[in-house]
Amino acid sequence: MEAEAVALMTSQSPDALILLTSQGRIVHWSSGANAIFGYDIDEARGRSLSELVVPADRAEEQARRLDETLTSGSGTYESVRRRKDGSLLYVDVSTRLVRAADGAPLILSAEKDVTHIKVLRDAKLMEARFRDLLESTPDGIVMANPTGHIVIANSQAERLFGYESGELRGRSVDTLLPARYREAHVGHRSSYFLQPRKRAMGSGLDLAGLRKDGSEFPIEISLSPLRTEESAFVMSAIRDISERKRFEKALQEKNQELANANQAKDRFLAGMSHELRTPLNAIIGFTGTLLMRLPGPLNDEQQKQLRTVQSSARHLLALINDLLDVSKIEAGKVELTFEEVDCKAVVDEVVATLRPQAHDKGLAFAFDAPDLPVVTRTDRRALSQIVFNLAGNAIKFTERGGVHLTLRCDVLDGAQRTEIRVEDSGVGIPLIDQDRLFGAFTRVNSARPNAPEGTGLGLHLSQKLAELLGGKIVFHSESGKGSCFSLVLSDR
Amino acid sequence: MAARILVIEDNAANLELVRYLLSFSGYTVLEARDGAQGVAMALQERPDLVVCDLQMPLLDGYEVLARLRENPASAATVIVAVTAFSMPNDRQKVMTAGFDGYLSKPIEPENFVHQIEAFLPVELQAPRAAPSV
Repeated sequence: MEAEAVALMTSQSPDALILLTSQGRIVHWSSGANAIFGYDIDEARGRSLSELVVPADRAEEQARRLDETLTSGSGTYESVRRRKDGSLLYVDVSTRLVRAADGAPLILSAEKDVTHIKVLRDAKLMEARFRDLLESTPDGIVMANPTGHIVIANSQAERLFGYESGELRGRSVDTLLPARYREAHVGHRSSYFLQPRKRAMGSGLDLAGLRKDGSEFPIEISLSPLRTEESAFVMSAIRDISERKRFEKALQEKNQELANANQAKDRFLAGMSHELRTPLNAIIGFTGTLLMRLPGPLNDEQQKQLRTVQSSARHLLALINDLLDVSKIEAGKVELTFEEVDCKAVVDEVVATLRPQAHDKGLAFAFDAPDLPVVTRTDRRALSQIVFNLAGNAIKFTERGGVHLTLRCDVLDGAQRTEIRVEDSGVGIPLIDQDRLFGAFTRVNSARPNAPEGTGLGLHLSQKLAELLGGKIVFHSESGKGSCFSLVLSDR
Repeated sequence: MAARILVIEDNAANLELVRYLLSFSGYTVLEARDGAQGVAMALQERPDLVVCDLQMPLLDGYEVLARLRENPASAATVIVAVTAFSMPNDRQKVMTAGFDGYLSKPIEPENFVHQIEAFLPVELQAPRAAPSV
């Protein structure tokens, strides 16, 4: 009867009764130990207690306690253990040195789970100290002890996670996280208590909270350590960021839509360009063969009319090219290659190309440049396009006299300033037209009879290109007295 | 002996234009109205030069190029793309694909024959210089 009662007591004790060798290996493991730590006797027997249930940061303490028991015969202490599922718990431990039948020393360790008692005790202290403060913050606040049990949660946190008042106390903070985060979270938490520091809201983690009803919501958490005389705690401020996530998602979708629309526009422009050029090829091509008199002679009127067809077709082509350029600039898709460019050589090329046109109209066409090369960092193609446009305009709008190009280069306050000036003795620009000169499709001379044709995009394009090069086009003009346009580039 | 030039072009007006310019200058012009016919004629007729449009239904210019290049009989044939694709990166795209030349539409009728002749050895150029305006 006596033996049976003793057996019953050891086997049925709610506390963990563990028998260890002097090296700390498990010899016996009660069903209480099984219930508390989650390992059964077969998993526990022969293993070291340390490797089975002692968290890494407590290993040293555990070894010391074992030594104390071996030297002094007994010991009493509080410690932290880790269950099979990884969760932590507080235990009150009583140890005693005993002898086996063969006289070998053994250690009997009785371990009681005091996690809940401890939480309640801490909760009382913390509530008295911090309740009012916690209720006054807009974020949900949850304070947990080193084993990850909630000591206090403010009502904002309870509401956020769908719990009744006081219902969170004593629960593991892991219950507030979806299962997929828990394992990682246990690791985060133990490393956090080893090196507690403030961590700002949402520092790099894409986290979700788990409500009592099982639903999830995106959260942002900031952690800060809180040390009291009794223990270390971690305070988590939790914010529901569903709203922000929705905005972010909507924004992302909008951006994607915009990108798609842009791509569609690019495809449309490329397609439009292709489709317009295909019939233009036949128009310009056969007008050319006729004007080359390949099929046979032409009378003057036929030739005149064919020239009109030709220049109109070329005009249409120029319009397509300019429109593509404008749309590229508007979309910020101009690819510029900044390199050392010899401006004199660029202007020389333009002058050579345009000389026949000037010559045909009987205009003087001159270019003055310093003897030394003028080198600036810019995009060669864009520079050439601007100069070509300004000089081409000058020829177009000048009936007698001439067009004069000048290249100048000064150094002011250590910065090089390069100017390419195009002066003409042409019709000039009336004051009232000067404000809208650089607008798209502005043809300020269109009201004049016999006004030369342009696409109305040239100056607009040139000014935009000049801005991309970090420069600008300035001009002064008087109606009837000619115009002067200057491209000014600054080298920094 | 002036070159035999195969023109692959699906647009009737543009095919007629290129044919007219080349044959006027004394070249023998073979015509194909789509890519598949172009590949077949190139292999059968062995022209000295191929002028090829890019955008064509079923078999486009790039596909024509690939088929002619992969066949040893036509791998070395000079193939010039003449296309209305004239965005800034189109030339590079064409040259990277392996065409021997790129001319954009609208072509310049005054210079077109000269531009094509640049791809021919002297003995295959037509004896009479191309007319100019």
